[in-house]
Amino acid sequence: MKRALVLFAHPCPESFSAALHGQVVARLSAGGWAVDDCDLNAEGFDPVLSEAERRGYHEEPANIIPVAPYVERVRAADALVMVFPVWNFGYPAILKGFLDRVFLPGVSFRLEDGKVKPNLTQIRKLAAVTTYGGSRTRALLVGDPPRKCVTRAVWHVCRPEKMKYLALYDMNRADEAKRAAFLDKVGREMEVF
Amino acid sequence: MRALVIYCHPRQGSFTEAVRDVVLAKLNTVGAEVRLRDLYAEGFDPVLSGREHEIYEDEALNRDPVASHCADLAWCDTLIFVYPTWWYGLPAMIKGWLDRVLVPGLAFLMPDEANTDIRPGLTHIRRLGVFTTCGASFWLTRMIGAPGKRTLLRGLRLLCGRNCKTVFAAHYLMDSSTAESRAKHLRRVAAKMDRLVGKTPATRRAEAAA
Repeated sequence: MKRALVLFAHPCPESFSAALHGQVVARLSAGGWAVDDCDLNAEGFDPVLSEAERRGYHEEPANIIPVAPYVERVRAADALVMVFPVWNFGYPAILKGFLDRVFLPGVSFRLEDGKVKPNLTQIRKLAAVTTYGGSRTRALLVGDPPRKCVTRAVWHVCRPEKMKYLALYDMNRADEAKRAAFLDKVGREMEVF
Repeated sequence: MRALVIYCHPRQGSFTEAVRDVVLAKLNTVGAEVRLRDLYAEGFDPVLSGREHEIYEDEALNRDPVASHCADLAWCDTLIFVYPTWWYGLPAMIKGWLDRVLVPGLAFLMPDEANTDIRPGLTHIRRLGVFTTCGASFWLTRMIGAPGKRTLLRGLRLLCGRNCKTVFAAHYLMDSSTAESRAKHLRRVAAKMDRLVGKTPATRRAEAAA
């Protein structure tokens, strides 16, 4: 069975993000994926790269020791689905810290002649499910950093065959119907992922 | 001039620390009042908690968990970030500072009956400086879209005063940097700081008129 790693980053179980997370996990499972559900807040993930980790950043393979279980989960994944709210034009810190600490040299990329080579190419499918408080125009004005983080930075180390960036903009003013429609759409996309 | 410097690096003796010291020296030269927040040294927790999310929009309560940081942000007219770029973006430490400190009522005002969109709350900030280092090249960073730089210089900038002045300097390809390239970068940081805060102490009158 193909494995999908779901990275979820929202502290509140009653949030709309949590509803999206539930939907993603349920519909991926329904679509035949073995889901590894990683709720970063619930697992108490520490996003702060420490001084020792910074010093040993390039020391392969010892650099993975502080986060070895997470590295294993990333390496075992055939698909990666990130579920998060956009806060201040970016990932929540807890998700950004996952990249800082777990996407290490030798894990997500190799340095060859000083160039970054992708090293998570077993991840064939990549998706993000996210919500923005502000409008699409507002995000575009800023250059939509979270979209670029997923579709360029993470994409760059996986080189997946399939990528989906599912976003609901303008959450501050979205009504029930809009949210329900987005939840539905996410479900459909995940089931055929 | 009241300058808030947000500094983030896990290690003492880093090049980022040298950049910070140039920034502080320049602020000192112009006689600015300075508040320095060293996020690693003070053990800042970047994770927005469930409780904080619950009170996020409650303007009577939402500053409490990070009150001193919110007070600094409300106090300053000059805001400067010094940090290494990781994964083309801000270290989790800085991202979490934004998540927790830029609360509604302080950093921005939520839409209401009279206003359909978010309005800026940091209009008292007239100067924004961003100084960083990148492992990647200038072109790769550009190709990815420089999310870290944009989060601050466009995202945060939207919340600042209309005439807010901005400066940015990055040392790219940090892993193959030389003593010479680093020294050159420190000179660039000094020049950018001159542009941001001026070269000589502003007189009280000039400051008041500005």
